[in-house]
Amino acid sequence: MTMSPRLRKLVLTMHITASVGWIGADAGFLALAVAGLTSPEAQLVRATYLAMGLIAWFVIIPLSLASLLTGLVLSLGTKWGLFRHYWVLVKFLIASFATTVLLVHTQPIGLLAGAAAETTLSSADLREPRLQLVVAAGAGLLVLLVNTTLAVYKPRGLTPYGWRKQQEQRKVSQP
Amino acid sequence: MADPVSDHPHPESDTDAGVKSERRSPPSTPRWVKVFAIIVLALVVLLVILHLTGRGFGGHAPSGGYTPPSIVIAYIVQQL
Repeated sequence: MTMSPRLRKLVLTMHITASVGWIGADAGFLALAVAGLTSPEAQLVRATYLAMGLIAWFVIIPLSLASLLTGLVLSLGTKWGLFRHYWVLVKFLIASFATTVLLVHTQPIGLLAGAAAETTLSSADLREPRLQLVVAAGAGLLVLLVNTTLAVYKPRGLTPYGWRKQQEQRKVSQP
Repeated sequence: MADPVSDHPHPESDTDAGVKSERRSPPSTPRWVKVFAIIVLALVVLLVILHLTGRGFGGHAPSGGYTPPSIVIAYIVQQL
């Protein structure tokens, strides 16, 4: 099924907005995670994890799901297809992986946000999940930048499935 | 995922390495895909080693259990 140009542009606008927004939100999340890990001020640390809890649940997770969904619709609704070109497939796998890792990390985010809401965290408290969030946010940002690069450069390469489909279409167009 | 708005040639014209003749076998996997796969594999091996040697970040269920975001929202509302 191929989308009409108007619908394709609408979905593309949504996809770019969600994907770029995800990168920006992740960068902000990383800044907060570093501040939460390194700051000696208890009040700042507390505010940081409360903000991170909100950003994760109400900005990053919705944006990541929107990016994944609109990307899926775009690939399946255009001639690019999801399994025809390596760059589309790799980008989809990266986005799926990043979303899964994000959902797995809602647990330490929830733990820290909950602890910050109830008590004052000292620099020694919950060191492991705090470090985990810095690493996860940094790795997430790197992975999202790789995806953006793939989307812009679109490196060549047909998958065996894409090649077969191309051959079939050639046979149909050249009887 | 797929961003069809660009100066990239039409998707159907992608013939891998510019070979336009009718090939009988699928094109080989591009180099960038192989490099990417090697990097991913190396990172997975590194993560497994870190977890096995106990130098990783441990599990994802630290003591204290899971706290839903509603607690955070309740706290912020309480402070207003």
